[in-house]
Amino acid sequence: MNAVELTAVTKTYGRTRALDAVDLTFDRGVTGLLGPNGAGKTTLLRIVATSIGADSGDVRLLGRDPHGSHAELTAIRRELGYLPQELGYPGDMTAFGFVEYVAVLKEWNDRRRRLREVRRVLELVGLGTMATKRVSRLSGGQRRRVALAQALLGDPRILVLDEPTTGLDPTQRADLRRTLSALGGHCAVLLSTHQTEDVAALCERVVVLAGGTVRFDGTVTDLVATAAGRVWLCDDPGPDALVSWRTGTGRHHVVGGTPPPGAVAAEPTLEDAYLLMLGVDAHDVRAPA
Amino acid sequence: MTTTTWHVHDDLLAAYVAGRLDAIVGASVEQHVARCADCRAATTTLVDPQLLAQGWDAVRDTVQSPALPLPVRLARRCGLPESTAVLLAAATSLRTAWVVGSFLALTFATLAVVLAGGELLAPFLLVAPLVPVVGVAAAYGHQQDPLETLVVTAPYGRTRLILVRTLAVLASVLPLTILLGLFLPGPAWIAAAWLGPALALVPTLLALSSFVGPRIGIAVVALGWSAVVLFSLRGLPATWPVGATQQLGYLAVAAGSVVVLAVRARRDRRIGAVL
Repeated sequence: MNAVELTAVTKTYGRTRALDAVDLTFDRGVTGLLGPNGAGKTTLLRIVATSIGADSGDVRLLGRDPHGSHAELTAIRRELGYLPQELGYPGDMTAFGFVEYVAVLKEWNDRRRRLREVRRVLELVGLGTMATKRVSRLSGGQRRRVALAQALLGDPRILVLDEPTTGLDPTQRADLRRTLSALGGHCAVLLSTHQTEDVAALCERVVVLAGGTVRFDGTVTDLVATAAGRVWLCDDPGPDALVSWRTGTGRHHVVGGTPPPGAVAAEPTLEDAYLLMLGVDAHDVRAPA
Repeated sequence: MTTTTWHVHDDLLAAYVAGRLDAIVGASVEQHVARCADCRAATTTLVDPQLLAQGWDAVRDTVQSPALPLPVRLARRCGLPESTAVLLAAATSLRTAWVVGSFLALTFATLAVVLAGGELLAPFLLVAPLVPVVGVAAAYGHQQDPLETLVVTAPYGRTRLILVRTLAVLASVLPLTILLGLFLPGPAWIAAAWLGPALALVPTLLALSSFVGPRIGIAVVALGWSAVVLFSLRGLPATWPVGATQQLGYLAVAAGSVVVLAVRARRDRRIGAVL
């Protein structure tokens, strides 16, 4: 049994089709969702987090149906950690108070065990010494980590993280990678990001979403391999390149199209492969320099 | 700083840690240990690490866990479960300042009626039903609940959270209001009559809020109730807003709201709660 099984899942908002018959399964390990804005990443994550329901299709979380009985939905939610893309923080709550509040909502009723668990997750995100600070006094990156801490409460079996790296500096990002890769051993981690480096460093598997459909689903190496022979370094921007930009060395990094004269084949990165995968949609992601 | 070369003997230290020494010897060992770093260090191997960890945990629990507001602490004394107290502490209208403010507003309204000598009931009838309903609206937190997205996906359940907070707000203000009502001049039933609209407005607010949020919901409810009370000032008897016919009207509104709420709550139970 896979932790998350989505079959022909469709979700529309008015006339916009956010997800169009998506089939995906996830199990233990870290999976990265990549895609331009409006690709359906957040919608997919919200469905897995039981925040919204799918219009049609079958959703199975830990073998249970979230559209089924209340008891079944609650059973799923007990095993679920969710970091929403945007989260409000009551300004007068301390970091500890915030996580404790969520812990009560997650039914940690025994006070001693609850407080120990709150301390554990705050330590895990490196905020052990900041616990008694008010959330309003914390920096953006620290707040994001407080939000991450609540998602980790109770070692969930499904962890849904909507852009967890936003606002984090490189060191904090590296810490997050360490935390998540440790979790991936026993839990299905599903995260969305705009940062291809995060996916390259963190995820065993990558899913590229665009326009509500799955464009790619496989390992990071496989995605990079799709760009082999389609990336060059040369002195010109490239006449019909998909995207190209001038690098720090003065040469142009050309992705897609025909190789300009004097072009030297370059080692493709995950970002190159991602841009090629999106094709014309790539211009939404990175405007050519 | 160690001021002596003498140290507590191992056996004596073990007896001290185990609490087997009599008061006098125990006190003198303690005096020494407090000043001697070497002996203090020696005790650490003798103390059960689990006991030490428990002690530290208890200290951290007290320091890190936020203090509960006075009204919630009082409710704890009356048997409110500790975990529920944590949820209630986050509600603005259960903070000490809010409860005191409600009490002051009600006292002034009662005072105005008492000084008017029974001719005018409007100030009390205006304020008394609004105090609980405004409290319920504020219990959502400012700008609804900032944690809404988490509340929706938590096993505790959003409907349950709202109902628990509503009951807590009612429990915090109703007894005081009933007490103040006893001081009102005029017929004795007035002291309880305001409960009709008060209890009708709460489900009305909850039903409205499930569509438009508590901010607009409370504005509509407060304006509506004020309109009823102000209308009664145009030559109608002072007790008109709480007259028998009107009470039936409130009951009908309350019943309608409860039906709406029940329908909404059923949808809330399904996935994709009402936001």
